Amino acid sequence: MDPVLIKMALGGLALLGCIGLFFGIGLALAAHKFAVQVNPKVEEVLEVLAGAQ
Amino acid sequence: MARITYRTFGGLGVVFLLALLLFFTGCQSQHRFITKTAFKGTHDIVITFAAPVEEGWAKDTANYRVYEKPDPDIQLNIASIALSNNARTVTLHFAEPLNQDQPHMVTLKNIMSDGKSQGTAFVSVKKLYLGVLFSVLIGAMLIHNFVFTKYLGLCVFFGTSQKKSTAVGMGVTFTIVMVVSAMMSWALYQFVLKPYHLDYLQIIVFIGLVSLSVQAVDTILRKINPMLFKAFGVYLVLVIANCIILAVPLILADNEYNAFESLMLALGAGLGFLVALFLMSSARERLELANVPPTYRGLPIAFVVAGLFALAFLGFSGMSLF
Repeated sequence: MDPVLIKMALGGLALLGCIGLFFGIGLALAAHKFAVQVNPKVEEVLEVLAGAQ
Repeated sequence: MARITYRTFGGLGVVFLLALLLFFTGCQSQHRFITKTAFKGTHDIVITFAAPVEEGWAKDTANYRVYEKPDPDIQLNIASIALSNNARTVTLHFAEPLNQDQPHMVTLKNIMSDGKSQGTAFVSVKKLYLGVLFSVLIGAMLIHNFVFTKYLGLCVFFGTSQKKSTAVGMGVTFTIVMVVSAMMSWALYQFVLKPYHLDYLQIIVFIGLVSLSVQAVDTILRKINPMLFKAFGVYLVLVIANCIILAVPLILADNEYNAFESLMLALGAGLGFLVALFLMSSARERLELANVPPTYRGLPIAFVVAGLFALAFLGFSGMSLF
């Protein structure tokens, strides 16, 4: 295959990989910083209820 | 409440700084030997060089090639060329008046200065820059309003325009997401995708950037303003699939806008969406009280009203500023 095409494909892979890694870490940090405390009892009560409606 | 306001302003400050930074990096697109290009009068283009150029080179029309940016094939005829006394300013006089609404591209072949060649320059001539920026802003906001003249982003538009407060909140959030994601996609396109010939990936990359900014807004808003977060419901996530937010980076990439123009287009698109949402929600709040036939109640009458708004916005079409 044409080496230019292979280079382009590899470049795309590298680019998307970098973007994914970089932004994934960024979002994980943001989620950690702005974490919302959820009361675990809400889940437990919902579990016990019938839940038909 | 006060804390929320501080945080919001902090976020806006960060956005502003980012935009400023991008502006300063995006400004230098001209050739290093040319300090200034400008239109003068109706027939002239003035080019200023960093150092004196040779008269023999400067007066030769064969060294210049001028065309309007959209039509590279139509070369403009240069009637005469004048060189200033200090040999640093060249005035190109054209036989016909120039259409200054379009940027003009000028190619200067093999600039000769002091017996040395300074290379070939390829520069653009634009009219007063603030005017261009303002017309990009107003154009995206009113004249080519994305909702009413291009019919994009209708899902979120109808979903969140029932109440004025939700509509304004959505509009503001949308504008922030739009500006952030458009600036990121612009930078990524100009500095990574274009230089490495990866433009074929632009749609995927832009979708990724949009979903990143939406996810970030989702996380942050959940913490700092839970009421607004609840009011948006599913529509905040739907911003990811909004066509406007994807159309703007594609338009930016297509038109080769620079950082400032991109910022204005994104801002204009966001504010245009805000205006559309506000108008629509004002009308729909009154529709609740109106005596609408049962078949038309809800969405159908909303579509009819949106059509009327679109007709009204047609009044802006064909307008040109500056």
